Order: sequence, then C-alpha cells, then structure tokens
Amino acid sequence: MSTTLAIASIVIKDLYRRKDFYVLFVLTALITLVMGSVHLFHDDRIVRYLKELCLLLIWVCSLVIAITTTARQIPMERESRTIFPLLAKPVTRTQVILGKFLGCWLACAITLLVFYLFFGIAAMSKEHQWPLANYFQAMVLHWTMLGVVVALALLGSLVFSAASSNTTICFVAVAFILLLGRHLDQVAMQVRQPASGILEVIFFAIPHLEFFDLRDLVVHDWPPVSWWVCFEAMAYAAAYAAFFLVAACLLFRRKALN
Amino acid sequence: MARMNAPVSQDSRSPAANPAGGSITARAAEPILRIENLCVEYRAAGSRSPAKRAVDGLNLSVNPGEVFGFLGPNGAGKTTTMNVLLGFINATSGDAYIFGTTVRQPIARQRIGYLPELTYYYKFLTAEELLRFYARIFKIPRTETDRRIDEVLKLVELEHARKRQIKTYSKGMQQRVGLAQALINDPDLLILDEPTSGLDPIGRMKVREIIQRLKTEGKTVFFSSHELGEVETVCDRVAILDQGRLKLVGRVSDLAKQYQLSLEQLFLKVVGYSIPDPARTQA
Amino acid sequence: MKADAAPAPGPAKPAQHTHVAQFSLLLLLTLGFCLATDLNAWFQKWAGNRADSSNLMEIAMGDARRLFANHFFVKADVYFHSGFYPSIYDDQQSFKTPHLAEDSGAMRGHNTGDEATFLGPPRNWIDRFGRQFFPSSHTHLTEGGANGKQKEIEAREILPWLKLSSELDPKRVETYAATAYWLRRIGKVNEAEDFLHEGLRQNPGSPLLLLDLGRLYWESRNDPERARNVWEAGLRNLDKTAKDPRESKDLKEQDKFVREQTLAALAKLEQESHHPDKALALLERLKAISPNPDAINDWINDIRRASKPDPASVR
Repeated sequence: MSTTLAIASIVIKDLYRRKDFYVLFVLTALITLVMGSVHLFHDDRIVRYLKELCLLLIWVCSLVIAITTTARQIPMERESRTIFPLLAKPVTRTQVILGKFLGCWLACAITLLVFYLFFGIAAMSKEHQWPLANYFQAMVLHWTMLGVVVALALLGSLVFSAASSNTTICFVAVAFILLLGRHLDQVAMQVRQPASGILEVIFFAIPHLEFFDLRDLVVHDWPPVSWWVCFEAMAYAAAYAAFFLVAACLLFRRKALN
Repeated sequence: MARMNAPVSQDSRSPAANPAGGSITARAAEPILRIENLCVEYRAAGSRSPAKRAVDGLNLSVNPGEVFGFLGPNGAGKTTTMNVLLGFINATSGDAYIFGTTVRQPIARQRIGYLPELTYYYKFLTAEELLRFYARIFKIPRTETDRRIDEVLKLVELEHARKRQIKTYSKGMQQRVGLAQALINDPDLLILDEPTSGLDPIGRMKVREIIQRLKTEGKTVFFSSHELGEVETVCDRVAILDQGRLKLVGRVSDLAKQYQLSLEQLFLKVVGYSIPDPARTQA
Repeated sequence: MKADAAPAPGPAKPAQHTHVAQFSLLLLLTLGFCLATDLNAWFQKWAGNRADSSNLMEIAMGDARRLFANHFFVKADVYFHSGFYPSIYDDQQSFKTPHLAEDSGAMRGHNTGDEATFLGPPRNWIDRFGRQFFPSSHTHLTEGGANGKQKEIEAREILPWLKLSSELDPKRVETYAATAYWLRRIGKVNEAEDFLHEGLRQNPGSPLLLLDLGRLYWESRNDPERARNVWEAGLRNLDKTAKDPRESKDLKEQDKFVREQTLAALAKLEQESHHPDKALALLERLKAISPNPDAINDWINDIRRASKPDPASVR
C-alpha cells in the first residue's frame, strides 16, 4: 500500500506544480464573481442562475483536470523514460496503475474541495444559508463519478497510443453519457432494428454518470437524496471503476515499455 | 588456451585475484547474479519475418563483491539482458536470478540499484523529493531515509542543489541524481547501463571513484560501458557479448596475460574485427 | 561586327514584367473596389441592413439569437418548475406553452395532458434508480417550490433568464409581458413598469405590452384613468394592424388573444367604475370574438341585473 500511496503522491505533486488547476480555478472564480456582481431588477438575492453557472463551470473544469491529468500519466512516464527507474524498484505494474489511479482520483478530490468551497461561499453570500448536506452530497457523488472517469481515462491511455487522442475520446464519451445516457432507451424505442438493439445494449453497458449529477437538486433547493441510495450509486461506480482498472492492469502487464 | 568463440570462464577464486585488495575476500558463495540459458526473441508486430534473437543462450554469473564489466558492440544484447534482469521484459526461455530469486518477482529488486543509460527523472520534483519517493518504495523508515538522502547527496556532490527542481539541472547533475537514486537503498548489487555516457572527463572520473568506493565497501557492480579504458581500470571480470552470444568471459588481468592484447584489441578480435598489424602499417 | 548592334535583351525583361504585374494588380484592386461599392447597395437591399444595429449580440449571432432567446425563455419555465421539466425525448404535451407565460396572461395556453406524469412509469431499473437523482415531482415556485416551504418571492429566480431572453430577442413581446407580471407578483412594481417601458421602446405601440401596462396601473398603482388610456390605445393599435393584410396567421391569433384580454380588462374597469353602459358595449364586442361566449353572456346578464334600479328604492 505504501508503494501505491508513494506513486499517488507524485501525481498530486505534479498537479499542483502545473498551472492547469490554478488557471481553471481563477477562470471559474472570475466568471462567477462577474456574474454574481450583476444586480438584476435591484435584487441581489437572485442566486440560482449563479449556482447553476458556477456548478457548470466546476463540472467542466473537474472533467478537464481529471481527464487531462490521467490521460498523460502513463504516456508521459514512457516518453520521459521515468517508467524504467520506477519499475527497476520492487514495484509491480499493477501497483503503478493503482498508484496512478489513486493519485489522479485524490487530485480530483483536492480540486473539488477547493471548487465546492468557493461555490459554497459564493452561494452563501447571496442566499444567506448553507445547505451543507446538499453540497456535501453533491461533492461526494461528483468525486465518485470522477473515479469512473479517471479509471476510464487510465484504460484509454493504454489502448490509445497518443495522449491527445485518448483525451479527446474520453471527453466525447463522457459528454455523450452525461447528455444522452439517460435517454438512450427512449431513442432505442423509436428506431428500427438493428439500431434499436445496439442502442439498448449501449444503454445497459455504459456507466450512467448522470446518476452522480445532483446539480438540479442543489440549484433548486431540493432535499438531499437518501444516503442509502447514494451508497448504492457509489457501489455502482466502484464496480465500473474496478472493471476499468482490472482491464488496465491486464493490458499494462503485457505492454512493451519502449 | 581458451578458444575465442566458445565462452570461456577465467574465474579465479583466489584472494590474490582481487587487485583492488578490497575489504572482502572472494567468497565461495552462491553467485549474486545468475543467468541460465537466457534467450530473448523480438518479433515486430504484424511482421512475417522470423523473430530476431537478441540474446541467445546466455549463461553468466556474477560473484558477490566483484565489479563486472558487460561489454559488446551496439546491438549485441547487453541492454536486452539488463532489461530482463530488471523485469522490463520477459525472457523467451531460460531464467535469471538475483540473490537466488527469479527476476520475475518484484522482490528480487529490493536490494539492487539501477542507473539507466538515459537519465530522465520527474522534472517537477527536487532531488530530495525524488530520493524520498524512491526510499518510500523501498519501505525505508523515515529517519533512515533522511540519513541516506544526506549521505548519497554528499557522495554525488548535489547537496547544494537538493531543493531545486530537476528540470533546472545540467546533464551531469541529472546523471548524478541518477546515481543517487540507484544508491538510496544501499543496494548490494548495482546495475549500471553506460554510467559515464555523456559525461565530461571530470564527471567520468567521479563516477569511477564512486565505483571504486562501492567496491571497497563490498558492493557488487554490474555495468556495461563502451569506455574500455575505464573498464580495464575498475573491473575484476568482463564478459564480451556479440550478436546475442557470449564470446568471452574472464578476469581482466588473466585475459591480458593470455592473449597479450589490450582489452580494446581483444574486444575487436572477439567481435570479428581484424586488427591491422602495426609492423605492416609502418611499412 | 556592326557598331549599332541591338543591346542584350536579358536584364531589361524582368523589370518590365514587374511593372506590368504591379499595374495589373492595381487595376484589379481598383475594379474590385468599384464593383464592391456597387454590389453592396444591391446586397443591402436584398439581405436587409443589419449594420444599423448597435447591438453586438444581434450582429454576431444573427437570427440564431431568436433560438437562444426561446431557449432561455423555456429555461425560465424550467426554473419556475424547480428543474422538473420534460426533455426533448419526453412527452411535452403539457408544456407546449410555458406555464409562467400562461399564468401571466402573456400567452394563450395550449397545454394538454397531465403535467405531473410526463415521465411515465419507469422503463427499466436504470430509469427507476436514476429518477432519484434529478427533480421528479411537479411543483411551481409560487406554490412552495422544491421543498414545499418556499415563498412567492422565490419567483425572482426566473428573472435572469427572462432578462437574457429579452436581450437576445427584444422583438419578442411575450418576454416583457411575462417578466413584468412576475415582477409585480414579487412586489417590484417600479421595475415592472420600467421593463414594460423598455419593451415599448423596442416594440412601439405593442398591444400586449400596453395591456400589461394597463394592468400595472390599475392593479398596482390604483390609477384607473391611466389604465383606461393605455388599454384604449392598445385597442386602437389592434384595429390598425387588423387591417394589415401582411400580418401572419400566428400574429393574428396572438392579436385576437390580446384583444380579448384588453376588452375584458376594460369591461371590468368600467364595471367597477360604475359605467355599466360602457362595460356592456365592451362585452358585446368581446362576445363576438371570445371562444367562450356563454361566460361573456353570463357576465353581461350580471351587469344588467346589477344596473337595474331596486324596485324598493324607486317607491
């Protein structure tokens, strides 16, 4: 475990020494603060549009950080040849994959903590209330979803030769699932076979990331979801993440390092 | 007289065969590194041409406490052999053992240090952070880690730059960081791939000094190099590889006495390069 | 060798070619410029001159801004329902007319079906499980909202999207009407009046906006005289546009709706101002165009009954 954690710590150091995170955070904060300074119809308590905008930016930024950070891990190790001194130590390839996953996922946790803290403060400044349970639940489920995305991107980095193509494909896949995943079965009912069958299979096969998107509930002040349901969703995500990680480990074990 | 083409072992186990007069005597112990009938084949993906044999039936052993030079022209199979020893690739057949453990097990690498030919490390880390990371992988306790980091950084003369990120280092400094990370776990076996490659004469001298020092401490060093002058100076035994096959192995001094040739001339002869007769060239 | 032999042609030719090329280029540029000035006038006539607009969004987005304006108008309705809204794949029969517009009187409602059950029963376990993570029960912001405890003031949350919609398509009068209504509902009468005036600047003489302005004067400012003036102005404008043969079918339908609303409002005003004759005259006009003439008839009878002198008082 300490080997995995050591590798994870390197990933986290990489994240906070790069500029990506800071640029995205400043951008999000700037846009939110500018939009929040707008007084519509002399009312400074209008807050939902701001919450929606801020949460949208957080989701976009977190996906950018998760996918770009993960997609370059293994290719960067191979290109820069740092994989060799690493594997020359008593480290298995499985530990490398798990360490990279843990590092990227923990890096996402730090990112989300900072972003959601900012979101909470920005919302509280207008709403004068802080529904901690809602925000915490949204953040935890968001982080869980990013675990699946990170595992997917890690698998992709072993399948696709270029980090850029992996990044693009992951973005497209995640966007497709978030926007259309919920409705694929409805679309399947309206088209003919064999497209209908294919869409049904895709619908049941893909990880339904929209389960973890609580933005509408947070923006419109709905009560929090039952924690039991949340745990079920987290178990669902853990199963998909485990599947992607096992596939990644098996692939990496056979992959030539050069 | 040993034949050129068959691998010849000129091992002498007498203490007098240790020219450095090091602190340990040659032991009649199990070899620290043992390679048995190692074969490694490469086949290009999708290619119909026959597989290329990079290493062909290699048998080799390295005894504790010796400095072993692993020589050969480019493409001889030296790096491939090292890759097998370090677990980067799997052998097609045969096996290799480090400290009696097969190299396929990660635990075999617990007591070794490796310096790759091309030294690239995490550019965003400082030297100290890099060493601490590797120490953590070796599960070295915290207090011991601090002591070892101070020790190795002093040895490679990088104390003044320990807090600077590696991306600010020169080539020579990066090579020294590489040496430091190879030594962080106080390894019993050091595997060095062209340790003086790209270094200026001062850098080469410093590396030679470090190897000598490790030798006096009883460490075993297994390294490949094209600098035959250095090999002649520091190595106890050498092996010459060509086209995946072991051509010659033996003590440096014994080989020189037997063939009445310098190591360079012997190398050229072994790999099939005809050495011009000095008398004829003068005429 | 002859003394006056012709000079070697080599060095002079490249210079000549350069001069010809430069002159040709200059001539082409001049021709192009002249042609452009001539063609531009024709193009302006054909495509319409957008250059007069100082609104950068209008120029940059072109006609796409109307699509976005409609999207944000619907977005306001999504907010009105606290996020519970059909997607393009769900049954939208009960959401054809945005509820916030229907409630405000800015648009005639064309909704059918049950607004609470557009999702239908769960199609499979994924759908059933997924419904727990997004709003899945029908509510209005003014009726308790998501947690059942929200007050009417929360309707202000729809305003940013309505404002954005009006910026993108200032010619869409329903946006101004609906926004003004909801501003009045949350107690911002001054802002509502300002917004309606803004709408009238963009759409001079719009009968719908005059209708809403009249409502504001009467219901919020308690100024029946001003209300009557603007409503009568609205009716006059409606009469003018009714004679315009270029008016589209949709506009005619919208104008008919506004005419009904204006006549009804005026009739109510006259009734409460104790002018039964005027009220009756207006209601007769309304009965001719109303889709519900029986209700108008009942109203007429009520006024007549109320305006008959009391036999007891006559004695």
